[in-house]
Amino acid sequence: MTTPTTTVPFRRSTTILTLVVPVAVLAGATLVAASWADDLPDPVAVHWGAHGPDGFGGLTSAILPMAVVGLLTSVGFWALSFWAGRSAATRRIAAGTSVGLAVFLGGILLGGLAGQRGLADAHDAPGLATTILVAALAGVVCGALAAAVSPGDPERPATAPIDPHAPRLALSGSERAVWQRTATSRSMVVVAAVAAVTVLAVTVVTRVWALGLLTVAIVALIATMAVFDVTVDDRGLVAKGLLGWPRLEVPLDEVVAARATTVVPVRDYGGWGYRVGRGGRIGVVLRKGEALEVRRTGERVAVVTVDDAATAAALLNTLADRARA
Amino acid sequence: MLIRIDPSSAEPLFEQVGQQVRALVARGDLPVGTRLPSARDLAASLDVNLHTVLHAYQDLRDDGVIELRRGRGAVVAHAPDHAPLHRAIAAVVAAARDLDVPPATAVALLKEALR
Repeated sequence: MTTPTTTVPFRRSTTILTLVVPVAVLAGATLVAASWADDLPDPVAVHWGAHGPDGFGGLTSAILPMAVVGLLTSVGFWALSFWAGRSAATRRIAAGTSVGLAVFLGGILLGGLAGQRGLADAHDAPGLATTILVAALAGVVCGALAAAVSPGDPERPATAPIDPHAPRLALSGSERAVWQRTATSRSMVVVAAVAAVTVLAVTVVTRVWALGLLTVAIVALIATMAVFDVTVDDRGLVAKGLLGWPRLEVPLDEVVAARATTVVPVRDYGGWGYRVGRGGRIGVVLRKGEALEVRRTGERVAVVTVDDAATAAALLNTLADRARA
Repeated sequence: MLIRIDPSSAEPLFEQVGQQVRALVARGDLPVGTRLPSARDLAASLDVNLHTVLHAYQDLRDDGVIELRRGRGAVVAHAPDHAPLHRAIAAVVAAARDLDVPPATAVALLKEALR
């Protein structure tokens, strides 16, 4: 494809947030767990079933899976943001997931072991439901924090005119225009609804009421991820979720060129939703097929799957032309 | 949907907005149940006064083109089949071109007839 001419920005903060902080969290959890060795039964409980602990092993077998999974994830997200983190969204998703997962895994390890301190037999270990809930909550909060402190995109107005071969729309000098469309993911709504009902049923059967919170989380996810309002006007492109978030914005002065394209969600983005795709492109991917692709300054690319993308692309190019004239 | 307005035109802006939504609905580009952008968003996008868009939306509601619901915003209403009207308009356009009648004159005649 195109030859890279600019380097990925914010590599130092990206490395700190996606690699240094998560590894420090995992290492800290490992050290704390190791310092408890004398208080813990041997073997310790390392796996829990519906009726309490059902898997046992040495302390190392409790620590190792957490450390390995956490480390691999961190290195993966560090690599993604180091080499493909041109957009703030990529860096935020990488930092948030990396830190959030490390805190979650460390929390599960320490929570599971903390309940076993002073026990003679690991079979008496308490349940894990509270630990999972607290660890998940801490993971989400810390992940959100990491995403928030991740550096945003500085303004990078384009200097060159729009590609003359890109599609245009006939618009007279005094005319103003807006293109608007709602993009909905039917499959996401169906999948999320089935998931919510299933979790709700499991909640009622097992009486683990904490799971009910998961239902709330699923419903919230549908609300934010399955329906997007897409608008092109003289401020640029905005795609925003039902609640106004998440939001994908390309200011008009950062548009390099827009065109209609075709998206295959799993191949190009590994799934559906607000995603990071191949080469760090940001996608609002709600279905297979027609999509608006906007190339943006800083070698960034934003994609939204939406009908009538050709009109949207033509209008965006035309308005950018006019603003740059 | 693509909406374009021309502030330099003599026609009021609310009518320009209204007519385009009418045309989009009549052509089937905006099917029944389609949610229109909120008046606030549309006004911001077109850089016009909020009341201009509200005026357009209220006219559209009065004519049964859209429904305005609290919380849900403007939604395209169930509209009767306009196919015969489209055929008749196509015939008028063809006749006007045959007779070299300028578009402004044809529109004026149509407006007069609809009065």
